[in-house]
Amino acid sequence: MRRNAVWLIAWLAVSGVGGIWIARSELARLQDLFETESRIAHRLLSQRVSQHDAVLAMLALFQPSDDASPSLRRLPAVYPQIIDVQRRARNDRWPDQTLQWAETVSRERRHAVIARFDAESARYTLLRAADPESYAIQIDMQAMVPWNEWPMARDASGVNVTLELEGRHLVLQAGRLGDGGWRYVFRKRLAAESQPFDMVAMRHVTWGELPWMAISLWLAVAALVLLAVRALRRQRVARQRAEELLRLGQVGRLNALGEMAAGMAHELNQPLTAVLASTQAARRLLVEEPPDIATAREAIEQAAEQARRASDVVGSLRRAAERPDLAARAQAVTLQQAVQNALYLLEPECRRVNVSPSVDSPNRPVKVLAEPVALEQIIHNLINNALQALEQVPEKERSLTLSMTEAADAVMLTVRDSGPGIPPDALPRVFEPFFSLRRGGLGLGLSLCESLATAMGGTLSAANQPARGAMFTLKLPRAAPA
Amino acid sequence: MSAPLSPVVHLIDDDDAVRASLAMLIRTVGLRVESWSDPREFMSRFDRDGIGAIVLDVRMPGISGLSVLENLIGQGVDQPVIMLTGHGTIEMCRRAFKSGAAEFFEKPVDDQQLLDALQKAVSRHVRTRERTRADRDARERYAQLSEREREVVSLIVAGLTNKEIGRALGLSPRTVETHRANVFTKLGAETLAQLIRRYASLVEETP
Repeated sequence: MRRNAVWLIAWLAVSGVGGIWIARSELARLQDLFETESRIAHRLLSQRVSQHDAVLAMLALFQPSDDASPSLRRLPAVYPQIIDVQRRARNDRWPDQTLQWAETVSRERRHAVIARFDAESARYTLLRAADPESYAIQIDMQAMVPWNEWPMARDASGVNVTLELEGRHLVLQAGRLGDGGWRYVFRKRLAAESQPFDMVAMRHVTWGELPWMAISLWLAVAALVLLAVRALRRQRVARQRAEELLRLGQVGRLNALGEMAAGMAHELNQPLTAVLASTQAARRLLVEEPPDIATAREAIEQAAEQARRASDVVGSLRRAAERPDLAARAQAVTLQQAVQNALYLLEPECRRVNVSPSVDSPNRPVKVLAEPVALEQIIHNLINNALQALEQVPEKERSLTLSMTEAADAVMLTVRDSGPGIPPDALPRVFEPFFSLRRGGLGLGLSLCESLATAMGGTLSAANQPARGAMFTLKLPRAAPA
Repeated sequence: MSAPLSPVVHLIDDDDAVRASLAMLIRTVGLRVESWSDPREFMSRFDRDGIGAIVLDVRMPGISGLSVLENLIGQGVDQPVIMLTGHGTIEMCRRAFKSGAAEFFEKPVDDQQLLDALQKAVSRHVRTRERTRADRDARERYAQLSEREREVVSLIVAGLTNKEIGRALGLSPRTVETHRANVFTKLGAETLAQLIRRYASLVEETP
């Protein structure tokens, strides 16, 4: 849980920082665009109002005195925003007091002035005093905007553009204004002394205009990356754990190997000690005056016998190391027959120990899947061990029972003896190589039996009986009935 | 105390073959060998008064050779013990010597080394036993002395003349002379030098 919380916090932090950065860069881009558009709009409007100055200057110069003069009539055609041209005739007065007053101001300032501005109808009148006649032009402000060159889409753009003059506003482009979010403002007076309009552009960026797509994409990418990192980390931890387990396993195997080597060293060292001592004794006996030939011969025979013992140890070791592919050579074997064969071989032993083994088996043949020689070897070993155990108890108490039981897909052969049993602390080790409870025992018999049983797809287990004695159970796969 | 005819080497090893061949080897130098397969049986039955040595295998079922060694030394057995081991570690060797082992050999053992060590051990044991016997002898004789005679002996050992002894004990030189003669007889010393050598340490022990 806590680890997941850490990952969640990391994701939130990465998402937050990235999201804010994306939003800010988008806002910066929008502001940049807005300012560019506003500057272009301002330049275009400034050009138009300058044209009005030029038109009036031209009229003042050429003084077209006739209302029907072609130049006057052509003006609205050339300049669509100029809807009307008014003229004050020579030595005349403007019929309108406002225009009259405007002429006075214009004369004073030596440039054209706005005589009248009507925001509702979006019109204004620009008047220039001249001699002998003065002219005024009426301008339709909506037509004044060069929409074909306009940098924004008039209806779609979110930018609000107005012209302001002495507190009166004329909206050229409505745009979209609202509350919240971000607002950019551009305000600049048009570049014509005669028409001091302020162009005000406003852009309102709402929360909805933020690049939510990119931000969500970023959140998703951050989540994916963090998930990937977490998965990699988990994988690495898992791999480290696996390596640790592997190492432990190897150490365990090395320990087992070390124990085996120590056991083997002991098993070989004993006969070698005897061989060396015997031959050294023989040499000493032979250099005596007179040489003790008889004892020396005895020593040599002892040495030879011990050399054979050492060789047997090596042989057992080699056999233990071999892992013949018994499963492949398994065949249907009648268990009763195998038990009989083993008992036949051990009959002299049984007689010596004075035990008559009892065999408890079903009346019909019990078939197991096994390699015949290996199976007999296991049974032989188990009976032999039982006989040796029985030697340790009084003759009257000796009994040996072999019983066969069948399960659905397996067959069990159990060898029970009434011997002293296996000490509980030794029980887990009885199948270890070189572990023996018998003095002089090599400790390879049961170990070999167990590996043979395993190689044939079976198991061999050891236990003590509740009352007394040991119990070995060989479990083998059951052969399909022919 | 039974007087042994010749020294006996007690050989304790659970491996029949090793025991038989080592016994054969040890017999070649004229030592008698008694073999034991069970260390416990050896502990309860061997002749503790006999002259000889003990050869003990470290690795045996049931009880470790080192425990046997520690028990023997703890019970005051004075026969030198030679330890044999299949695979000796420094720690095992250290423990063996600390417990009082005379020698420590790895199997298979070199015959010359083993036999030399055994002969040395046996002769050392003989000397130890002789010294012990002489010691016990001296103590018995010394115990027979009267209080006055012991005073006289201590002054003799201190190097005083009869006259000086008499003065010191307030006795006449003649009486001192009698005590002196008795002391020499009881202690079985023939010369002054013999007396001093054998009994000086006993005199110092009993103030």
